[in-house]
Order: sequence, then C-alpha cells, then structure tokens
Amino acid sequence: MRKVMLFSFVFVTIFSLFLFIPSSYAQKTIKVGIVDTYTGPASTFTIDVRDGFEMAVKKINAKGGVLGRKIEFTTRDEKFKPDIGLAMAKELVLKEKVDILMGTINSATALAVSDFAKKEKIPFFVTFSKSEKIVVDKGHRYVFNMNENAMMAGRAAGYALGKKPYTKYWIAGDDYEYGHSIANNVWENIQKINSKAVLIGQSWWKVGEADFTPYITQILAAKPDFIIVATGGSGMVNFQKAAKATGLSQKIPFYQHTAIELSVLKPQGQNAPEGVFGTANYFFYYPETPANKAFVEEFKKAYKREPRIGALSGYMTAQYIAKAYEKAGAIDKEKMVTALEGMALDSPVGKLEIRTCDHQLVLPMYFGKTKKDPKYPDFLVAGDIETITGKDYMPTCDEIRKMRKYK
Amino acid sequence: MDFIYAIIPPRVLSQILVGLSRTTILFIVSSGLSLILGVLRIPNVAHGSLYMIGAFMAYSLSVLFGGGDLGFWMALIGAPIGVAIVSLIAERGLFQYLYEREHLMLLLLTFAFSLVFGDLVKIVWGTEYKSVPVPQMFQGFVNLFGGLPFPLYNLFLLVVGPIVAIALWLFVNKTRIGKIARAAAVDREMVGAVGINVSWVFAIVFVIGCLLAGLGGVLVAPTVSVTLGMDHTLIMEAFLIVIMGGLGNIWGALLGALIFGLAQSLGILVWSQFGIIFPYAAVIVVLLFRPTGLLKSTW
Amino acid sequence: MVQSTTRGKAQLWVYACLVILFLLPLILPRFYIYLVSVILLTGLLATSLNLVLGYGGIFQFHHAVFYGVGAYATALVLTRSGLSPWLSFIVGPLMSGFLSLIMGLICIRLSKLYFGMLQISLGSLVWIIVYRWYSFTGGDDGIHGVELPDIISSPNSAYYFTLIVTAICLFVMYKIIKSPFGSVLQGIRDNPVRSEMIGINVRRHQLLALIIAGFFAGVAGSLFVVVDNTAFPDMLFWTLSLEVLIMCLLGGWFTFLGPMLGAAIIIALRTFISTYTTYWALVLGALMMLVIFFLPNGVLGYIEEKVKKGIIEPVIKE
Repeated sequence: MRKVMLFSFVFVTIFSLFLFIPSSYAQKTIKVGIVDTYTGPASTFTIDVRDGFEMAVKKINAKGGVLGRKIEFTTRDEKFKPDIGLAMAKELVLKEKVDILMGTINSATALAVSDFAKKEKIPFFVTFSKSEKIVVDKGHRYVFNMNENAMMAGRAAGYALGKKPYTKYWIAGDDYEYGHSIANNVWENIQKINSKAVLIGQSWWKVGEADFTPYITQILAAKPDFIIVATGGSGMVNFQKAAKATGLSQKIPFYQHTAIELSVLKPQGQNAPEGVFGTANYFFYYPETPANKAFVEEFKKAYKREPRIGALSGYMTAQYIAKAYEKAGAIDKEKMVTALEGMALDSPVGKLEIRTCDHQLVLPMYFGKTKKDPKYPDFLVAGDIETITGKDYMPTCDEIRKMRKYK
Repeated sequence: MDFIYAIIPPRVLSQILVGLSRTTILFIVSSGLSLILGVLRIPNVAHGSLYMIGAFMAYSLSVLFGGGDLGFWMALIGAPIGVAIVSLIAERGLFQYLYEREHLMLLLLTFAFSLVFGDLVKIVWGTEYKSVPVPQMFQGFVNLFGGLPFPLYNLFLLVVGPIVAIALWLFVNKTRIGKIARAAAVDREMVGAVGINVSWVFAIVFVIGCLLAGLGGVLVAPTVSVTLGMDHTLIMEAFLIVIMGGLGNIWGALLGALIFGLAQSLGILVWSQFGIIFPYAAVIVVLLFRPTGLLKSTW
Repeated sequence: MVQSTTRGKAQLWVYACLVILFLLPLILPRFYIYLVSVILLTGLLATSLNLVLGYGGIFQFHHAVFYGVGAYATALVLTRSGLSPWLSFIVGPLMSGFLSLIMGLICIRLSKLYFGMLQISLGSLVWIIVYRWYSFTGGDDGIHGVELPDIISSPNSAYYFTLIVTAICLFVMYKIIKSPFGSVLQGIRDNPVRSEMIGINVRRHQLLALIIAGFFAGVAGSLFVVVDNTAFPDMLFWTLSLEVLIMCLLGGWFTFLGPMLGAAIIIALRTFISTYTTYWALVLGALMMLVIFFLPNGVLGYIEEKVKKGIIEPVIKE
C-alpha cells in the first residue's frame, strides 16, 4: 500500500525536478547543442573540437554576434554509447530547444542523430565521425560533414601511394567499419593507378587491441613490400610503438591515416618511428600561411597547446553557422541550410567549400611521412608533404549520386 | 635447428614466443585478481582500473625522472606501490565492512569503484594519450627463428613473468601471511577462532593483489599508448582467464593466461581475419569440458 | 488478512499509476514522453532480468544480448523483408527466446560466477557476429531510420504502444512469478539441493525461466526500435548488461517493481546530471556505493522492509 504511494512519490519527484529546472533558453541567442564523447580514449580528439568551436564562438560574440544574437552552446557527454547519444540529442532539441546540433566522434551515434535531425529538420554538423555513410548513403538536407570521411582519406592515400613502386601489399587494421572503409578505398585507388599491385594477405584485429606484436611477426614472415594499416584512435599509437619495437618500421614501409598527425606523434615524443606514411587534414606548422599562423597563435594563447584537426573542424563549424545566418539574413533554419550549400569560407588551410550535392566540406589532404625536425624537439613532424586538393581525390558529385542510387 | 624447423615452422615458434610474452602481463594481472577472489571472495571489477592507474602512474613517474631509463625503473618500483596505497585506502575505507555481502553485491560495488576510478583518472591525468618510452637497454629487437624479429622488451617480459610467479609462490607457501591466507580461503571462521586478526591479513592480501594489477599496468605501458578505457578490455580478459583456471587458484590463472595468450597469437596464424574469436572460443571449450575451471577452485 | 488487503490496495495504486501514465501525453512536453518511453522499455528489460536474477538466483550476467538480438531481429525484419511489420514485433522476442534456449542449454550446467562468465563469452561471440557482419547487420554503425507502421510512428503513439506492451508484459511476468512455476523457481533459488531432492527438475525449471527472461528482453529490444528507430551493436555489449544489473540492484532485486524503479532512477539521473557535468560515471559510482552500503536490498526493498516491520504504517487501515 504505502510502498506504491512512495513509489509514485519518488517517480513524481524525479520528474518534477526536470519540469521545474529553469530553462536557460533565452529568446535572443542562437543555441548550439554538442553531443560528443568526452570519456575514454576518444576524448583526446573531441576536446579539440569543443575548444576550437568555443574559441570561434567567443570571437563572433565579441563582435556582436550574428544578426544581433549571441551564439550559445551546451555540451553533452554521450560516453561513446549511441543510445545515450541519441537520447541526448533528443533532449537538446526537444527540451533545450537548440537550433543546431553538432558532434560526434562515434559513427553510430552520428548516423542515429542524423536520422533524428532529418525528421526534426534541425541542421546537424558532423565534426569528427569518419563514416562516409553520413553524407553518401544516408545523406539528407540537414546534415553537413565538417571533416574528412574514411572514403576521402582512403582515396587520397590511394592517389598518392599508387604512384609509388610497391607491388606486394598487405592490409591490416582495426576490425570495424572505419578500418575496412579506409583499407578498401586505399586499395581500390592503388589498383586504379598501379596495375601491378597485388594483395598478398590481410589481418584484422579487434578495436582496442593492446598488443600488435603477434600480428606484426606474422606480417613480417609474409614479406610484403608495403602495408596499409587501417587503425584508428589509440590503435594508431599502439601500432607505431609495436612497429618500432619489432623493427617493422625499418624493414617495411607502411601507411596509416593520421599517422603524421600531432595526436599520434606527440604522445610518443622522440621515440615515434620515422618514415611512416600518413595523411592528415591539418598541421599547426603547415601550410605556413599567415592565416594558419594567426589561428595557431590564438589557439595556443587560449588553451596552452597546439591546435589539431579537431580544432579546425570545430572552428570552421562556428564560422559556417555565423556566416550562413548572416547570408540567410534571418534566424531561419531552412534559409540557413540553403545558404550553407555551396558556401566557401577562408580557413587556416585556405578556402573551403561545402558542396551542394552531398554537404561535404571540401578539404585539402596532406600526404607525407614522419621525420625528426630540430625545430620541434618534443615530437616528430610530417615531412615531404604533398598537398592533394579536393578535386584530385574526392568523389565527384556524379559519383556520389551513383553511389546513392546503387545502395 | 633445421630439424626443429621441419617440425614446427619458425613463424609458429616466433608466434608462440610472442604469445608467451603477452601471457606474462595477463598472468600478472589475473593472478592478482585470482588471489583476491580466492581469499577474500571479491570479484574485483575495479582490478582493471587499478591496472590503468598503474600505467598512468608509470607515465607520471617516468616523466618525473626525466623520461629515460631511470624513469622506467622508478616507475616499475613506484607505480605498483602507488596502486597499493590507493587500494589500501579503498580496502580500509570500504571493503572491509562488506566482506560478508552477497557476491553479486561485491561485484557491483567494485564496478562502482571502477566507474569512480575511471573519472578520477580523467580528472588527474586529462584526456591526452600518454606514452611511456621503452627503456634504452630494451629498445630494438633480436632476430630469432629464421630471422624473424623479436622485440627485446618482450624478452624482458618473458623473464619478469617467471620471477613474479616464483615470488607469488614463495609468498603463498613460505610466508606466515600466505599460510594464514590459504587457511582463511578454506575456512574463514576457523582462522578467526584461533585468534588471528583476519581483517589485516585480508587487507594485506587485497593490497598485494592490487599491487599485481599495478605492476601489470607498468609493464604494459611501454608497449601501448596509455589511455582512458584501457581497463575495459583487460578486465574482461582477466576474468575469463581466472574462470578458465578455476576461481581463486593462482596456478589456474597461470594456466588460463597461457591458454588465452597462446590461443590469441596462434589463432592469428590459423585464421588471421578472425583471430579475435579464438581466445573466447578457448574459454567456451574449457568451460564445456571443465565446468568449474581447469584446476581446483577454492570456492 | 492484512497481507491480502495490502495487495488489494497495491493493485488499486497500480491501476491509478496506469491511468496517470495514460494521461501523461496530455500534460507533459514531448521530451518527457520520450523519456518515459525509454524508462518503460528499460524497466521492462530490467524486470525480465530480475525474473532470473532475483527470483531465480541465476547469475545472468549478459542479459543485454537478448535485448540487442530482439532489437536487431525486429529492425531487420522491418527494413529487409517484405513481411508484415507487425510480424517483426513477434520475430524479435522469439529470436531472443530461441537464443536464450541455446545459450541456456550450454551454460545451465554451470553455477553462479561460472555461469555468468560463460554467458559473457558466448554473448561476446554473438556481439562479434553482429559487430562485423556488415552486409547483414550493418556492422558497428548499426541500423538507422527504421520505418514503422504509420499507426505507431508518431512520438505519442510510440509511447502508447510502449506503455501498453510493457504493461501487458509486466502483468504476464507477475502472473508467472505468482504461479506454481514461480514458487518452484524461488524454491530453487533458496535451496537448490533440497529442491532437487523433492523431485524437482532444477535445470529444466531454470532453463524455462531463462527462455522467458530472454523473450521479454527481446520485447524490450523491439520496443527500443519503436521508440528510437535504430539498433546498435552496443545494445549487446557486456557493459550494458552490467548497467541493467545495477538497475535491478538499485531498485531492489527481491521486489517485483524494484527494477522498474531502478531503471527510472538511473535514466532520470543520467539525463538530469549530464546536463550539468560530464562526470556522470563518478556520480553514478558514488551513488551505487551509498546504496550498497546503506540499502543492501535496494530502494524499493528498503521501503518494503519498513512497511513489513510496521515502521511506516499503511495509510488506510481496514
């Protein structure tokens, strides 16, 4: 008897808590809700997105905001769990009434949130997840991809590697969508250019694998010319460490997407292997343009560290939100989405454009290999940098349309 | 040598050796888990967190002592002690009041600890990947078995493994505390009845078990990137190993770790694309034929 | 006498709760309706776990597998087959029940922790299959944008569907627990050896309980597809199983509605706390420690205990 009373009492209390929480929603702001993973290994990337975004927002607000309104943002930690991420996106849209959604590093969450954003007609900026499904198969009017996806990275690397004289290839990687997508795209594009290339074997390990030595000894025994390594997250560092310890990095050249990026090289200090091929979209030391230098200075001043790729995509997302509203001339989501299509803005890495056909940001890709540089005593940097422009490696709009129809 | 290669190809030999070095870390961590399970009856999910804390402490100590060889050796000594202190606080502060609770409750209590530890690590060390360099003397590799390279650090692990096993054997069989602990594992009331302060014996066993987790963390640190969430995969593997070997049996943990480590490294040779399923399959096969583990369980 | 009147009144309150739940969409904004739907289906999942955990004494450590398989089966039938969409809501639970039978047959010989760990290894294999069978399950990205029949596709109708199905399932589970079968199950939990001796086939009873629990977890999985239109591999990862276990424990695993209350508390707190801090795990961990320390039988278990002892007096005395 009493227990039911108490039960319903607790129930009601908990819910009234929600109802009476004063909503911070004010009429005069543009609200952005960020759902992302701030727990576990992924957080090393997502914090950069948040900080880059925050930096840009502060700057925009200091100049008086957008159309007289300030941009305000709030974050939610989805803990790399899609169900929680989706619930949080729903909370942000339905309860906090955000105008724009942003996030996330988890592809499954990004796809789920994208589906929700489509139904609710809320613009959704994808800032770190690498699944090409987001803009290709599952692309729609309200989703925008602000970073490179696995298909883009793979194609760019294939474009650069195809010109190299290797013939016997081995593919190894984290056994999940991202790993397979990178590896397949690199391999397909190598084959297009280099007809002599053959694949002599593959190995796939579980995501989060700690010890690569058993896999590496097996690869070494097969004696390939070149290894395509499709790892992500903490697997990047783990593989490089194992490659150095087993001498793999001196014997067989290998490629990893983001191998030349700061988040992979900085933790290893001077002990990172030299001569590892990689692709990346952003370095704080390259291109040495005034725009990039200014961006790096500003970021370093605010957060006491060098900006990485996440900072760029967070920063550019804020710029795009502000500029799109200004171009639309009104705080109107539909007009804003239309304004975003085909919009080109200056960035630290040159002019960037959001394509109309798939809402993908066209980014230059840098191909290079790790080297020591006396200018940076604390970590290795990318050397022999080759810039691959979007035109050279990105699928054309026709190809995108074909892929959408095919699937 | 050629004769041996004719029977076992060099790549298989090399794979076995790699599997054994992996076994070392698995054994060190899971023997600690097994010790606590056997004597204190606590299925300690937070064991993985202590392993993670050990790795992070190793990073901090290594940086504190200049990041070189000295840093590594100081970490090897200091980090397990640090973990032991953390665990002592947890044991005296909370666990000692809960020994008589339902196993499931203890499992969830330690899970609560793992959640708290996970966030505390994030607060203390931040979200950046950390890396502990391999000490100078163990950098590089030697060519074994038909010229296949084998990292020196893994050779070092192969030496450490047996040392830890012998030390553990000495502790359990030759020290007073070890003997009391073994007796307490069989009959707790009896030991209390003969006038021994069981509470402190339990505390010491708990701390030694956790110290082993910390040691595992330090040893693994030079081979991987030290990150948040590294506790997750390991704790599951450690539990499976302990179950496979027989709950609470330290030598069972050794056997389980051997099976797990070898199933993984040899599985890669057999079917590299699905290498991931072999350790799990091994657990299932073992439990189907020996439902209470390979060796005698203390439960 | 007192017992039966208490139960009679309790029933009355349950009906009152149901009526309130039915009226909720009229007063609450959309987000809370969504939140209540999630609580209901998660509560159903936790209750189904408690059927074998609290009442059966079986260490079912990987309950989420059945939840995930139910969701996947439903989502796959909805997206990939031409079958009637309503059929998918039957296929999901049936698949879960079937999987539960198979895993149960393998695990049932083992006891306590061994049972739980073998279940985790088997469940991990299922997870690996779902996680990497790209062409069929969509791999680690999961299945998104599942189209539902029009009648349950709006948020409110999805809520009513969830509410009705959950209520029916809870009712059925309650009847099962109060049936002779339920009594036998609890007898086995309290004393397996004695139950064996008086001629009860312990394993067969436990196996049946496992299948029932798996089936209802599958129902919860299907409801997840209705509410969120997606299915992810994370739904059958072992961490989720532990979370569900926590819900049972927090609410009270020797009470029928305890798991539902636990689910409500955890989900509500998660939503509430995460708007303020990213250290949600820290808060949850601390909360769990307090509960284990001070309320070993869970929140509802505690309340029930007090009611029985007469410390909290029943409001209405007959």
